[in-house]
Amino acid sequence: MHKAQAVAIPTGRGESLWLRSFRKLLRKPKAVFALVVILLLYGSGLFAHWVAPYGYNQQDLTAVRQPPSARHWLGTDGVGRDILSRIIYSLRTNLIITAASVLTGSLLLGVTLGLLSGYLGGKVDSLVMRIGELFTAFPGILLVILMAATLKPRVLELVRDFEDATGIRGLVRWGIVDYFVVFGALAAFSWIGMARLVRGQVLSLKEQAFVESARAMGASLWRILLVHLLPNALPPVIVSVSMGLGAIAGAEVVLSWLGIGIQPPVPSLGNMIWEGQSISVLQKWPHMLLPPVVTVALLIFAWNLLGDALNDVLNPKAR
Amino acid sequence: MKRAAAWLSILTVLLVVVSVGCRREAAQPTPRAPAPAQATPGAIPTPTPTAAPAPSPSTPRTGGVFRRLWDDPPTLDPHLASDVTSAYIIVEVFSGLVTLDYDLRVIPDIAERWEVSPDGRTYTFYLRRGVKFHNGREVTAEDFKYSLERAADPKTQSPVAETYLGDIVGVKEKLEGKATEVSGVRVVDRYTLQITIDQPKVYFIAKLTYPTAFVVDREQIERMGRRWTDQPNGTGPFKLKEYKVGERIVLERNPDFYRGPAKLDRVELLLAGGSAMAMYENDEIHMTGVGLADLERVRDPNNPLSKQLVQAPASFDTYYIGFNVKKPPFDDVKVRQALTHAINKELIASQVLSGLVTPAYGILPPGFPGYNPSIQEKGLKYNPDLAKRLLAESKYAGQLPRIVITVPGTGGSAGLDLEVIMDQWKQTLGVEVEIQQVEWATFLQELNRGNLQAFAGLGWVADYPDPQNFLDILFHSKSTQNHTFYNNPEVDRLLEQARGEQDWNKRVELYNRAEEIIVREAAWIPLWYSGERFVLIKPYVKGYRLLPIIVPRLKDVWIER
Amino acid sequence: MLVYVARRLLWLPVLLASVTFVTFVLGRYGPGDPVQVRLGTKYTPEAAARLRREMGLDRPLLVQYVDYIRKALQGNLGESYTYPGRSVASLIGKKIWVSAQLGFAALLIGVALGIPLGLLAAYRQGTWLDTALVSGALFFYSMPVFITAPFLILVFAVKLHLLPTSGWQGLFSPHIVMPALVMGLPGVAGIGRLTRASAMEVLGQDYVRTARAKGLPEHLVQSRHVLRNAMIPIATVIGFSLAGLVEGAFITETLFGIPGIGRLAVDSIFRRDYPVITALTMIFAVAFVLANLLVDILYAFLDPRIRYR
Repeated sequence: MHKAQAVAIPTGRGESLWLRSFRKLLRKPKAVFALVVILLLYGSGLFAHWVAPYGYNQQDLTAVRQPPSARHWLGTDGVGRDILSRIIYSLRTNLIITAASVLTGSLLLGVTLGLLSGYLGGKVDSLVMRIGELFTAFPGILLVILMAATLKPRVLELVRDFEDATGIRGLVRWGIVDYFVVFGALAAFSWIGMARLVRGQVLSLKEQAFVESARAMGASLWRILLVHLLPNALPPVIVSVSMGLGAIAGAEVVLSWLGIGIQPPVPSLGNMIWEGQSISVLQKWPHMLLPPVVTVALLIFAWNLLGDALNDVLNPKAR
Repeated sequence: MKRAAAWLSILTVLLVVVSVGCRREAAQPTPRAPAPAQATPGAIPTPTPTAAPAPSPSTPRTGGVFRRLWDDPPTLDPHLASDVTSAYIIVEVFSGLVTLDYDLRVIPDIAERWEVSPDGRTYTFYLRRGVKFHNGREVTAEDFKYSLERAADPKTQSPVAETYLGDIVGVKEKLEGKATEVSGVRVVDRYTLQITIDQPKVYFIAKLTYPTAFVVDREQIERMGRRWTDQPNGTGPFKLKEYKVGERIVLERNPDFYRGPAKLDRVELLLAGGSAMAMYENDEIHMTGVGLADLERVRDPNNPLSKQLVQAPASFDTYYIGFNVKKPPFDDVKVRQALTHAINKELIASQVLSGLVTPAYGILPPGFPGYNPSIQEKGLKYNPDLAKRLLAESKYAGQLPRIVITVPGTGGSAGLDLEVIMDQWKQTLGVEVEIQQVEWATFLQELNRGNLQAFAGLGWVADYPDPQNFLDILFHSKSTQNHTFYNNPEVDRLLEQARGEQDWNKRVELYNRAEEIIVREAAWIPLWYSGERFVLIKPYVKGYRLLPIIVPRLKDVWIER
Repeated sequence: MLVYVARRLLWLPVLLASVTFVTFVLGRYGPGDPVQVRLGTKYTPEAAARLRREMGLDRPLLVQYVDYIRKALQGNLGESYTYPGRSVASLIGKKIWVSAQLGFAALLIGVALGIPLGLLAAYRQGTWLDTALVSGALFFYSMPVFITAPFLILVFAVKLHLLPTSGWQGLFSPHIVMPALVMGLPGVAGIGRLTRASAMEVLGQDYVRTARAKGLPEHLVQSRHVLRNAMIPIATVIGFSLAGLVEGAFITETLFGIPGIGRLAVDSIFRRDYPVITALTMIFAVAFVLANLLVDILYAFLDPRIRYR
């Protein structure tokens, strides 16, 4: 068994490959730009509590719909809340949901099922792929709506019971139910593309010598999957995750825009756009609409740009 | 009449204005509230409607198309309609015994005249001869008997039959399925109809102007079943020519209308949505409400649009937060009072809602018959210290159970006003509440079954101009519309006494006393009365009246070009 | 090849059945019990039980499902909650045709702009033009529809009065320009990127170099070799963009007041009209499954290198 470790060439080779790729990435201006934007946006969201100048629901009725000023850099909304702070907290919302969906949906579910499906083949493969096909057959957004509608009242009950039983208060008010529902619905859809991708990688890798030898040495299934196959399947996974993050971040915005995502007063970019969205507002109070719009566009653009750059670096053949 | 989503849209729209789907127009006309009849005892003060734009000296001309944005009506069946969107169309396609003029007085419609018996309980209506359905068949007293009985038939499932027709002897029995006929409706001859009510009620005749009492064609309904409203055979000044759901409704002049045909050839109601303001400026529609975001720009005298701006009268409605007084913590009057005293309505109205609403401290809206101006002073005012003290004195002090406020509607915001109120409660009293949004149908259902602990985001809009329409219907312990389950024997006694009181001043006095008790005990937190609305109308559209309630009005509109 | 198609066709009914079943179950368990919605204020337990029996809701779920499908195949998709007495089928009716026209226009824009721009970028590979085109494409690809639409309306309708703000007058009217553009832009970006990538790959292939070396005129090289081979992956992306078009239609139709099924879907969502949502989900799902199948088969024919198990 511990001999197999020595044979695990890909890991060793991989490390330097990662470093090299990363350096290559940093030489691309568009990648640097994308990374900076993402770090800035999500960084402020992550530390919203410290970064945001005001609370997301801190109202000031003496300063309603004010244009940008030194006190409120991006102005205030209809009840005098600081728009910059609301955007920062919205980014936190977006970050939580995006990260949770990608981690569980794409990475945990998608990669695991893809590995198993590709390596084991046969019945497992058919089952996973057929279920995936089922999911891709739906217009995602409609099914997400149906799921959110069916799930939400039940989750709400659960959380209320939990609050009453434990004495912990404020979970419902904090919007945890919405987080859970949106994330659940997005995760349910994001695994399938990843599973297919990983499966394809595994199919081409599993007949290669180093896997064969690991198998011959009696390595366990999970060891083969995680130590031998996964690292080699990783480059396209990373590209795909980066591309997918943009899509999921956008999906959260669209769901909230449709009013089935995050409910106020918990801020979300979709809600902010919905509230400010009209030609009249655009003309009269552009500061209520433009900042969330620019943030959304920038965020999705940065993810796609990063995906593109990663693709150049990790996947040169595909170009 | 309950109004919910509309309120949401007023708020959102005033602030946000017209862009997407369901939130559309700032100036939705308000539901109808008929005015008193000349033929009834007791002179009820009549609110003055604003006719705008003022009818111009030019002579009306026939022809032309009037076009505006509208929403899909939930129903075109007069007996089912309980909302503004439906009623606006229905009053143009159908008609009844009586209707309202532009001064909101009850005037003859299909009934040429009517008489009231000395005991005030029996009304005899004499129908015009030669009134025809759109298909040419003559309308007779039998048609009215059929229509009233259909409205009261439990199979029709009318949500409003009891409110509007419940005074007629035998309607309750019919609604409960205990009778096949309505005994209080009698056909005397082909053109004479007699209606008997349970006790003399000065406000009864006004209820008959509502679509629930309109005449429908028995032959068509029996032939076509539930789909009859696709091509309804009405009696109104317009025929429904085309209805494409989500696309448009086209009304066409009824050349045989018995009170003289309409001027317009057609009316087009666009249902597909769009940016109303942009469409108006682009000459795609003839009128639109003006929201907050556009108001300043449109009012600017240098803007040519400022000459097309018209101010519409406030409608008769009151928006509120309701408590279920049977559920903790609202069974303690001190909790209710504390929450009421903690809200700074003046601040919200002036800052957040930009003065487009009036803070409400009573139940009856200003200008409404029986309105008591002193209630604005006697009501529970903003008083944070008193609020804190009341909460501390309540039996729930320090251990307030979970409070969930349910609001109707879906998506987006629960209303900026509510977000501010929640914040004020939190700041003043340290009370944090949860907001729960449910769709309108579920909301109503839960409300009617008494499952909601507290509710908001809705208003009560006058159906007919009598204090009974607010106070008795909403706060009498036996009323089906009493969703707060408020129960005060003293209030019940006053309300019952007012029902039969023939002297108008004494009635008002009784209602004012009841209102004061209700307000003091905070069964509701009255929030806002509608303010005046701003509307843009193209200068070549003449004769369009802006009224606080829905009245048939398209007949007198003409296009001058 | 034939075996592959046969297998796919055999699998089709199973897939359709599962898709419709899942939708049906979700629709049934959504909030808003149809019985209670129908009864409204008239709710009593007895009346509810009676209506439940009348509507057949007391039967096992599977029986209800089979019944629903049987009726659906005859064009009966049940009754809307929001518009009592109106059948779902009549609500959907002609709207599909409207949305199809709009989708077609958007796709046309995507192809008509995407392919030439993609080819242009491929030929100018590495130049500033290429960079500009690629980042421009990425930018429009990133823009949610509900952001582009108000800006377009503001500029072209409100400021310049060039185009009507909203409404629908058929395929050949100025009304279609803005919505089709808004919906087509992400498509331009997607198709353009893919065209560029595959054109660059083809340009590097031996047969193109050979064709050039043997002195074939450049335009012939382009049309016979480059474009044709670059078309293979493009065919698939057009198939896939169907999904994007559907989601784009939701928002675009709402913003531009177009009476299509996208707007109907959004309205039904806002009104929580589950019978309509369920029916639309099924219709979309069936369309997706068929489109995917078609694309896969087409792909197999187009590219003889692909072998299917």
